[in-house]
Amino acid sequence: MGAYVVGGAALKIDRHFELGYKDLAYRVVRDCPECSDVDYVIVASALPELSAHQVDLGIHVVQWIGRRVPALRVESGESSGLAAVDLAASLVSSGRARRVLVLGVEKVTEYPTYTANYFYSLTLDYEYEVLRGISPPAYAALAMKELMNSGVRRECFSGWAIRMHENAVSVPHAMLRFKISLESFKDSQVLAEPLTLYDSFASGDGAAAVVVSSKPNEGDSSPEIVYSGAEVGLPAYLRDRVSDLTASVGLLRRAAERLGLDLRRAAVELHDSYTVYPIAILKGLGYLDDRCDLGGFEYLNLSGGLKARGHPVGATGVYQVYEIFKLMTDGLGGRTAPAEYGLAHSMSGPDNSSRVVVLRR
Amino acid sequence: MRLSPQQFWRIRENQYRLFITVCGSCGRKAILKRPVCPYCGSDRVHHVESSGLGVLESFTKVYYRRNSSEDDLPKFIGVVRLTEGVRVVGEIVGVGADELREGMEVEAVLRRYASDDPYGVIYYGIKFKPV
Repeated sequence: MGAYVVGGAALKIDRHFELGYKDLAYRVVRDCPECSDVDYVIVASALPELSAHQVDLGIHVVQWIGRRVPALRVESGESSGLAAVDLAASLVSSGRARRVLVLGVEKVTEYPTYTANYFYSLTLDYEYEVLRGISPPAYAALAMKELMNSGVRRECFSGWAIRMHENAVSVPHAMLRFKISLESFKDSQVLAEPLTLYDSFASGDGAAAVVVSSKPNEGDSSPEIVYSGAEVGLPAYLRDRVSDLTASVGLLRRAAERLGLDLRRAAVELHDSYTVYPIAILKGLGYLDDRCDLGGFEYLNLSGGLKARGHPVGATGVYQVYEIFKLMTDGLGGRTAPAEYGLAHSMSGPDNSSRVVVLRR
Repeated sequence: MRLSPQQFWRIRENQYRLFITVCGSCGRKAILKRPVCPYCGSDRVHHVESSGLGVLESFTKVYYRRNSSEDDLPKFIGVVRLTEGVRVVGEIVGVGADELREGMEVEAVLRRYASDDPYGVIYYGIKFKPV
């Protein structure tokens, strides 16, 4: 039995001080007509225990939005969203469910930024990385230095950020809908040399929904989930190079080979928590030389990516699938991607885990 | 932050000393005393203790705040190649930015990791300083 994406919705990623987890979930479901007829709910969220003192979020969300269907929460760090879509496809394909609502929701602004930074750092190993002072931007900076030492120019990373901001301008739910320039980097706050705030994802609250169904919508071309896979990498401190993102590169290569998919022709959403990671991945796949010419990619992170659309940690993968669904159907911010395939890629930490979901029109 | 004396006591060996796991199957070595080889999954492993001496291969100056105080910023996070050939990532202390350079010899020292409050639990563990 197939699994099709038949609808969805997304809230603007922002500092929603007036909305909690349950409120965000309700708002996005309210905006999603397809979300009403479902027999299972999967909530994707990484931080509720930390930021809202809440366990069993799946059940509490379902009760709040007035559904009486089985529910659970999926947590796999930054890749929680794609893990939830993967599980939804399995439930539908196996006949265990008919229509699954995948609801990504996250609050990252409940505390001051330094506390949010601490929560986000816990995607690393608490005992052997976090306690030792290691943080996600420290790894990203070490990875960036490695690439720069091997000939990649600093402008490659800045160029990624500039392109993401350009893409986000027309995306209604993107957090940072403005352009930046190379000049912007000169005054940008340093997170970990040589990495700056402008190399980092936009941090905001968000909620996105997609409905995964055993049948396509009548009379339209609902894209089918034709691949979903995951791979686990080594901890960054055990690799020869921090920038060797072998889990992501291997998984993307496998997905492309299995489907005969060319990333340059597909609607692709790559995980770009820091600008260094998509560059490292595309170099690892052999698409980029040291000049980082991205011109060959037709539909690359048209959402603006984590960089500019934003990264509500555990909800991000659901945003990605929603965006690809929109690009392949009635459009996202006035743009469509008339591609055969759409691919969402997510990872948690510096490639600790990697996930890919592929849709075909 | 809420620190747990129990949790830290349980992991004290890997925080207070530098152990290396040596795999009897694939022959690779990895930092930390581990029950299985992280590279091949074999449990045919034994453990040796590092001399604590090594070379700083790379480092970054970090301004990323994770607590309410900026007292410990900026900090230096570095990749150290131990003389036993194993890499470890940790904080570099006792040196200024203009003195730090790649290729510098460093040694492991015991320093404070974290504390709950002025009267709370304090965690200590391995950091590195120039020799």
